[in-house]
Amino acid sequence: MKASVKQYAQALFDLSQGKDEKEIAKVIKDFAKLLVEHNQVAKLDRIVSHFSLLWNRENSIVEAEIVSASELDKKVVRLLEEYVKEVSQAKDVNISSTEDKNILGGVVIKYGDNIFDASLRTRLNELKKDIKN
Amino acid sequence: MSNNTKDFIVEQLKKQIESFKSDSKEQSFGQVIQVGDGIASVSGLSDVMMSEMLEFKTAEGSIFGVVLNLNEDSVGAIILGESSAIKEGDEVVATKRILEVPVGDNLVGRVVNPLGAAMDGKDEIKADKFYPVEKIAPGVITRQSVKEPVQTGIKAIDAMIPIGRGQRELIIGDRQIGKTAIAIDAIINQKGQNMKCIYVAIGQKESKVANIVAKLEEAGAMKFTTVVAAGASDPASLLYIAPYAGTAMAEYFLDKGEDVLVVYDDLSKHAVSYRELSLLLKRPPGREAYPGDVFYLHSRLLERSCKLNKDFGGGSITSLPIIETQAGDLAAYIPTNVISITDGQIFLEQELFSQGNRPAVSVGISVSRVGSAAQVKAMKKVAGKIKLEAAQYRELAAFAQFGSDLDDETKQKLERGKRLIEVFKQGQYAPVAVENQVLTYFAVSNGLMDDVPVDRINEFESTLAEYAGDNAKSTLESIAKTGQLEEADEKALEKVIKDCKDTLDYLIEKND
Repeated sequence: MKASVKQYAQALFDLSQGKDEKEIAKVIKDFAKLLVEHNQVAKLDRIVSHFSLLWNRENSIVEAEIVSASELDKKVVRLLEEYVKEVSQAKDVNISSTEDKNILGGVVIKYGDNIFDASLRTRLNELKKDIKN
Repeated sequence: MSNNTKDFIVEQLKKQIESFKSDSKEQSFGQVIQVGDGIASVSGLSDVMMSEMLEFKTAEGSIFGVVLNLNEDSVGAIILGESSAIKEGDEVVATKRILEVPVGDNLVGRVVNPLGAAMDGKDEIKADKFYPVEKIAPGVITRQSVKEPVQTGIKAIDAMIPIGRGQRELIIGDRQIGKTAIAIDAIINQKGQNMKCIYVAIGQKESKVANIVAKLEEAGAMKFTTVVAAGASDPASLLYIAPYAGTAMAEYFLDKGEDVLVVYDDLSKHAVSYRELSLLLKRPPGREAYPGDVFYLHSRLLERSCKLNKDFGGGSITSLPIIETQAGDLAAYIPTNVISITDGQIFLEQELFSQGNRPAVSVGISVSRVGSAAQVKAMKKVAGKIKLEAAQYRELAAFAQFGSDLDDETKQKLERGKRLIEVFKQGQYAPVAVENQVLTYFAVSNGLMDDVPVDRINEFESTLAEYAGDNAKSTLESIAKTGQLEEADEKALEKVIKDCKDTLDYLIEKND
């Protein structure tokens, strides 16, 4: 019987609960062997991403992406991290920042399923729409 | 441009920019996992609601979509526009609004697409209000029974299958039989009747819609008509929302207490586009591959047509949905569905059409469940027996070949019936006003046309109308205004008919 991506990820997650590093290494090795045996290695990418989803949900971690027009200094990044932690009520936040000149200024914060668009480009578009009417 | 105007414009712009407030707000977002055939599967968007509007952010601007499927870890949405600009991985944002269309007086006289964008080459529509496309129909307490007539101008319909304001009357028949023609004549005849009209073209050829708009323009009907057009080449999502958008535009006038006539041309194509969307959204197919809720698709649309009582404005929406049957099969899935929803049907028969009886209305099977409650008193008086006489004629027509072997009474019924059938014939784009219809039916039912040769009945009718227009103008006007046919009016009509006949030379001599 072939298991789905979600079932594999859930199994791996359940197995890695409450174990120390050495035990987890063994679990992973066995798991990889299982995948090879059942010819399911192609599913590995999706299993890994679903696993991170389960892990984050369990440990209340939120992945956030911050897009800015130019590099932000550390203090600002820390403030944004605090904001995201507060608004999503997570215990921990993983921030990845990228630069995109196209947003012209301001910042776009993506976390979980939400997006907070405070970019200059969006504001200018809204102004354009407002004036047109 | 003088300096003053330039400064003024700059001042206005500055003021508008200063007063501009924009708050960044938090929105739900997701990513497109799969897109194609007018459908997109989106991941994320965990708290989006059913029928919520989504905004697809593409390189060329925003395209809107509507959520129709909520799955465990994805959302299925239909794309309201060209899906070619959307790529896999594109960002999608939930707008927290249900699908709305612009409504208002600005829409009268315009041709728009289901989202309210102008299609007639004139300026963009500036709407003061937006109404939701999907709405729950008015409840029982807010309604009132149908009492006022909708004069379609088509003699056969106004006499025997009268339509009232707030009624849903289905026009059903095969292809190329005159369904749209009846609807268009009804719209043209609403001139001066204090009605707004909305013609919703679903999946029609663009050339056909262009012809219709030109004809309405010619007849002066565009002054009170809005055309909502979702052509055959538009994506199925636009065809799906077109009738709901048309109804939303009608509801604006309904809320103001006005009367509206809405024509849905046609709902068969609407059901087909909904089937297309449902199959692409992987919903299980049922009978004839239509999804399970295809009845609900039409019932929620047609229930919004109603007559409201005084406490709620007293307005009404009358709808004329059109259904195309295949080879006259009334027992197919969609026709039976819509017949059970509407308050009657006008059935157009192929046989009548080929015999030259146009409009090819089949009096026997056509029904109006509102009936004479929706007729002016004058019409009720003269046309009360017409349906029965037409039915009796049909029964006897088989004996017509035994011409010489019949008794006088039967012969007389046959002759009367033949004249009646001739009177029902009518040209396209030539609706007849109610007072002229009363005059004609008065003549026929009182035997005053029995000595006119059958093949010259139509000629006699128009001659009579013209003559009466000159010599009995006041009588006709009083019938038109009051809707009553008094004793005095009857005498006046009798006199004018006799006078008109005296001027003619082709009457049959009675040889007793």
